[in-house]
Amino acid sequence: MVAVSVGALITVSACSSSSDKTANGDTKAASSGKGPAIFVVGGKADDPFWSRVKRGADDAAKVVKSGGGSVTWLAPKNYDNLGPDAAKLIQTAMSQGADGVVGPDWVPEAEDAAFKQVVSGKKPLVIYNAGGIDAANSLGALNYFGSDEATAGKAGGEFFGKDGEKNVLCVNTLPGAANTEARCKGIADGIGENGGKSSQLPLPSSKFGDPTAVAQAIKAALLKDSSIDGVVTIGTGDANAAASAIEQGGLADKVKLGTFDLDDTQLGRIQSGKQLFAIDQQPYMQGYLAVSALYAYIQWGIELPQKPILTGPAIISKDNVETAVAGSKAGVR
Amino acid sequence: MTVQATQQAVSKGGGRSRRTDAPATLSNLIRRPESGSLIATIAIFIFFAIFGGAKFTAQSGTATWLNPAAELGIIAIPVGLLMIAGELDLSVGSVLAASSMTLAIVSGHWGQPIIVGIVVALGLGLVTGFLNGLIVTRTQVPSFVVTLATNFGLAGLALGLTRAITGSTSVALTSESWAKHLFGSYVSGKFEVAIFWWIGVIVVVGWILHVSKYGNWIFAVGGDLVSARATGIPTDRVKIALFMGTAFGASLVGVIQTILYNSAQVANGQAFIFNSIIAVVIGGVLLTGGYGSVFGVIFGTLTFAIVGQGIYYTGWNPDWASLFLGVLLLLAVLMNNTFRRMALSYGPRKKKD
Repeated sequence: MVAVSVGALITVSACSSSSDKTANGDTKAASSGKGPAIFVVGGKADDPFWSRVKRGADDAAKVVKSGGGSVTWLAPKNYDNLGPDAAKLIQTAMSQGADGVVGPDWVPEAEDAAFKQVVSGKKPLVIYNAGGIDAANSLGALNYFGSDEATAGKAGGEFFGKDGEKNVLCVNTLPGAANTEARCKGIADGIGENGGKSSQLPLPSSKFGDPTAVAQAIKAALLKDSSIDGVVTIGTGDANAAASAIEQGGLADKVKLGTFDLDDTQLGRIQSGKQLFAIDQQPYMQGYLAVSALYAYIQWGIELPQKPILTGPAIISKDNVETAVAGSKAGVR
Repeated sequence: MTVQATQQAVSKGGGRSRRTDAPATLSNLIRRPESGSLIATIAIFIFFAIFGGAKFTAQSGTATWLNPAAELGIIAIPVGLLMIAGELDLSVGSVLAASSMTLAIVSGHWGQPIIVGIVVALGLGLVTGFLNGLIVTRTQVPSFVVTLATNFGLAGLALGLTRAITGSTSVALTSESWAKHLFGSYVSGKFEVAIFWWIGVIVVVGWILHVSKYGNWIFAVGGDLVSARATGIPTDRVKIALFMGTAFGASLVGVIQTILYNSAQVANGQAFIFNSIIAVVIGGVLLTGGYGSVFGVIFGTLTFAIVGQGIYYTGWNPDWASLFLGVLLLLAVLMNNTFRRMALSYGPRKKKD
């Protein structure tokens, strides 16, 4: 779940600073001969979200390898000290002779100095997953590849509103984190424009990773306020807990469930009509596009005019669940 | 209490503990080690019954704290036993996750009968516990470090294997109906069957600690290891068995959660490491070992669960939940300490009667 929250945004931003142009020229020169060494800083591989990002990066790496280059995935051991750990990983990439770096700007205060070392070292940088195009621009990165939390939340809120829900509870198991807060705020904005409202249920860290404790807290909140007719969770693990909470409270007819992010269990519930939707930021494309774009830029100076490049949101509901199931079987969605 | 525990073990030589022989007068009852935690549980319950209203005291409200308490309790009771013996187990989080994932891979991904998945998952727990115990007793490295290492190691192993085998980190499982009923169903739509598993664990462990001779062995090992060994207690075997107990509890909860939520996530379970120790300590077990009771741990678990869930019935801003948790836990433990002091200071005088 931590990873899910962390993994909300991917952007590759193209930057047009003068340092970029020099980086451009240098890397082109360096790329003659063997292919580039690309380093990707990403989330822990043990959460479902990042495993799909990595799958995309791995698939893109096939092309890089065919050109004689390499793609190295660097991830922190845990999220307890995320900013400094990520900054160290960026420095590790540089010290290992990276020709280009892909990284998420999770904690700008801690990471930006390291990102600036990449740019000042005349190496191209791509921001993905977190930070947005603003971070990419200010750092002098090529582009931002990712989804935008607020946009994704808004899409979910609108979906609730158009479905007729009036009062949606946004369950936040990581209160205070910028992207989870943005998700819940986006939901509130989206449903607000469609005649409803949304409030947040922040849960403390002592419940994190314990679906039963999360489920019972959600059930309690639903029983306490009978006007709630929709629940949205910030990640798939919490969505399983919320589904159980709705069932135990005997509220299946009344309370609709939506979630950020996607996995097989969500797809199964959407298929069987027990869940309204899941918001997919299509993490596979974050890894795939960020690495591909960086590789094409280093090798041939190819740059895309569209900035940022959003990989989501895609709303998976009963209308399109079957194609999503096929993607999930391939380990991509 | 070191003195008390050893004396108990030595003088009784495997018989019943002194506490259970004491006459059941009110003054003795109130000095039992679990009295403080019982009173804390009742006080916390009354607190939320007042501020949470009828929905908290209704069946559904009871399930809200009883379900998490049951799952936490299945782990906390063997952890309590281990802590009485003076050791810690920080590996229960990864054991839970790895067992959960093992079941989902064996029976969900590979499509084996669910009984195979359950046996392999529980077996994984027992093996991990055995290794923990073996390393702690053979190397004399503190269990804090050994089990911390196991926790990391097993987490990495589970992640690596899960990704290598399934290409994902979240694996779905469809249970056969007998397994769903036995491990992951709700009684009257609200109460998890885990509650009955918890009761089972309470009965078994309660008998071991408070009735069988092994209970005194455990107190002795935690109270004074050298003296315990000198009296002929197989201290290493006791510890290894206790580590296997905690890991078994964790893997049982892993099985229950996987069947209950029809899926396994690699990153689940880490909250149980800290929460189980918290429940045990609120329940009056000393962090240094040698003192505690199964009933104390039960009440500690209930207190922690009620405090953790009760706030959502009060209608108060849940932003403050952790603050309440902190304050109420501190009060609960202070209450425990008061009663423990009474219980211990009363001990010598009791000998005279």
